Amino acid sequence: MIEIRNLSKRFGEIVAVNRLNLFVPEGEVFGFIGPNGAGKTTTLRMMAGVIAPTEGSVIVDGISMAEDPSSAKKRIGFIPDRPFLYEKLTGIEFLKFTADLYGMEDGLFAERSKKILNQFSLSHWADELIESYSHGMKQRLIICAAILHDPKVIIVDEPMVGLDPAGIRMVKGLFRNLAKKGTTIFMSTHTLAVAEDVCDRIGVIHKGRLIATGTVEELRVRAQVREGDLEEVFMILTEGESVP
Amino acid sequence: MKEIFTLLKPRFLSFKNRRRSRTRGGRRLRLLAFGTIGLAFWGGTFSIFYRVLAYFQGLEAIGDILAYKLLSMILIILFSLLIFSSILTFLSKLYLSKDLSLIHSMPVPREKIFLSRWIESTVDSSWMVLIYSLPFFLAYGMVYRSGAFYYGMLGINLIPFCLIASSLSSLIVMVAASILPAGRIRSVFIFLALFLFLLLVISFRLVRPERFVRPDSFVPVVLYLKNLETSHSPFLPTTWFFDSLRASLSGSVKIASFHSALSWSGAISMIFVTTWVSSVFYFRGLSKAEVVSKRFYPFFARRRKGNGFFPDLLSGPVRAFVMKEMRTFFRDQTQWSQLFLIVALVIIYLYNFSVLPLERGPIRLEYLQNLLSFLNMGLAAFVLSAVSARFVFPAVSMEGDAFWIVRSSPISIRTFLWIKFFVYFLPLLLLSELLIVLTNILLNATPFIMAVSVITIFLMVPGIVSMGIGLGAIYPDFHSENPTQSVTSLGGLIYMTLCIGFIAAVIVLEAGPIYDVFMTDIRRATLSGFQWLWLVGSFSLVLVLCAAALLIPMRLGEKRILRYELGH
Repeated sequence: MIEIRNLSKRFGEIVAVNRLNLFVPEGEVFGFIGPNGAGKTTTLRMMAGVIAPTEGSVIVDGISMAEDPSSAKKRIGFIPDRPFLYEKLTGIEFLKFTADLYGMEDGLFAERSKKILNQFSLSHWADELIESYSHGMKQRLIICAAILHDPKVIIVDEPMVGLDPAGIRMVKGLFRNLAKKGTTIFMSTHTLAVAEDVCDRIGVIHKGRLIATGTVEELRVRAQVREGDLEEVFMILTEGESVP
Repeated sequence: MKEIFTLLKPRFLSFKNRRRSRTRGGRRLRLLAFGTIGLAFWGGTFSIFYRVLAYFQGLEAIGDILAYKLLSMILIILFSLLIFSSILTFLSKLYLSKDLSLIHSMPVPREKIFLSRWIESTVDSSWMVLIYSLPFFLAYGMVYRSGAFYYGMLGINLIPFCLIASSLSSLIVMVAASILPAGRIRSVFIFLALFLFLLLVISFRLVRPERFVRPDSFVPVVLYLKNLETSHSPFLPTTWFFDSLRASLSGSVKIASFHSALSWSGAISMIFVTTWVSSVFYFRGLSKAEVVSKRFYPFFARRRKGNGFFPDLLSGPVRAFVMKEMRTFFRDQTQWSQLFLIVALVIIYLYNFSVLPLERGPIRLEYLQNLLSFLNMGLAAFVLSAVSARFVFPAVSMEGDAFWIVRSSPISIRTFLWIKFFVYFLPLLLLSELLIVLTNILLNATPFIMAVSVITIFLMVPGIVSMGIGLGAIYPDFHSENPTQSVTSLGGLIYMTLCIGFIAAVIVLEAGPIYDVFMTDIRRATLSGFQWLWLVGSFSLVLVLCAAALLIPMRLGEKRILRYELGH
């Protein structure tokens, strides 16, 4: 479903992402972990078509992001780490704006938005200005907007930031359910417990390079750790290469 | 087209929802105040131009040439202003807006994203220039007694005029954003600031306003006329607009229509070229916008303690804030373009004084020079207030979301505000004294007027800066995306009003006694007892007023900011 070929991004002299190759099949929840400044967000932004790679390509559902960005983006729901919301719009106006850009019909929008707002406990806030929402509510609204058009791929950067325990549980359940229905989820996170709970496979990125991929078990073998959680595996894999 | 409209929708909806916003306080008052000021400016411009044009009409042979020359100059200035305004708007809308990530993750072709931003920027950067250009055109229409045809052609020509300026600006911004080696978009500001500075100076020199007041210096008259008839390039949009307006003022339908057709075809071609260029350059530039470049001024970063640098003399927390203020100011390249503009403003200000035809006035030269020199104190103080409104008033709000650091640090709010005060006071004092001394030298003012001006400005600057800091603390906006725009808020308006009142009060208090001293000196007489009393009384009142302007705003600002609740 998602194919990343030789993906690189340089910012002047800094190489943020270095020849990344990855394939994530349909219905998989893929966790992308790494220290601060490893290149996670840059990779996700290239995958979402927000910035252009210096080299390489991103293929989503067989469509190249570079060659046909509009069609590729139609298949994606993107949840950035620091999402922007138009503060002077109401929640429902923001969802309608998103739906219009994804070409959703009015009838389908009415039905889906009602269901999703209800699911995320935002129904009573739909007609309030976004500026009056709490941080967690804004995070929930941006997730609503990303899944509204029923995307085949969800790219999500730090999904749990700002969510309360109930919200975290809901989002974890949502991702698992969506994956069961065939949605591919590419998730970057620092919360290793969440990655361990939700992800089918995990990729570890460090200094722009993908240094390991596999299930938690496979990563344990790679790190030569018999017992212990993902945190310990992560520390061993990235040991001695701390990033300021 | 539907997608472009959808992309513009948040703007309309935000406008529609503004009544429900929690930040709506004081909007009506602000609207009323700015509306009144705007209307007064509009009316004043119209009245001046109407009088000038009516005067030109009375000059046989050269009246029309002067009027048309003035028209072409106005068009060049308008075009420069439109480009100036568009470049800044485009830079923000195309590369710096916070919603760009959201928009570019949507399945919309990039050309359409560009076009929607282009439309928004064109409207944003043109509307005010257009509104304030109308008094000029209205004055021409009335003096030349033109009918509906002129006004129709004016409307028809203004649109492509703005479209061409906007297209040119977007081309400049896109190319600059994609070719700068470091690629960091804020670097574009430096490039553009220099470019705009040059543009301002060149357009000002093109105008050469001093020529109008001394036509007889062009001897013979033929030389004068020849000098006025500078050639217009047929490739310039200002020429098309000018030719069309000139023809419509004289009722030549065919010529006017031909030139406006040129304008429209130029505009359409430019939009086509811009859209094509955007498909090549825009996304490339946007991706480059995130490139981290080396600092232009690593000065503050590499400095080591103990080399006699003046903040070393301060205590730890105070030095920390002083250094933070200086570093953030000089590293914020968006401030630099404003600094360039201030330099341009100062040069133009001084240039104006150097070309004043004082010797041609009906009033005695010595008297006129000193009168102007005295009034110049008010003008310089007003310029200082405008600069302060841009830099000093937003200083507290500039802390933004980091204001919690100030609140949690072991430094009192009073000290924090006084640090802010001194950081801005010293450079502004230098700027205003420089303006005053140089203009007084250019005016050949007497030593007495020179001394009075220097002392008065020295007394007024602390008050103006203190009001900026104090009112900025009384009306803080820590959540604004761009705190420098807070000058258009209610607090900014109150600040400017208080500044004008303060300057006027000082000038009025000093005017009488200074006139007496000056006239006594000219008549070689001595001051009477009453005049001495008046002099001492007035200057004491000025002292009290300046002290009050210094202390009261700081005290009120401190009280207000102490009551401010973070997360509010």
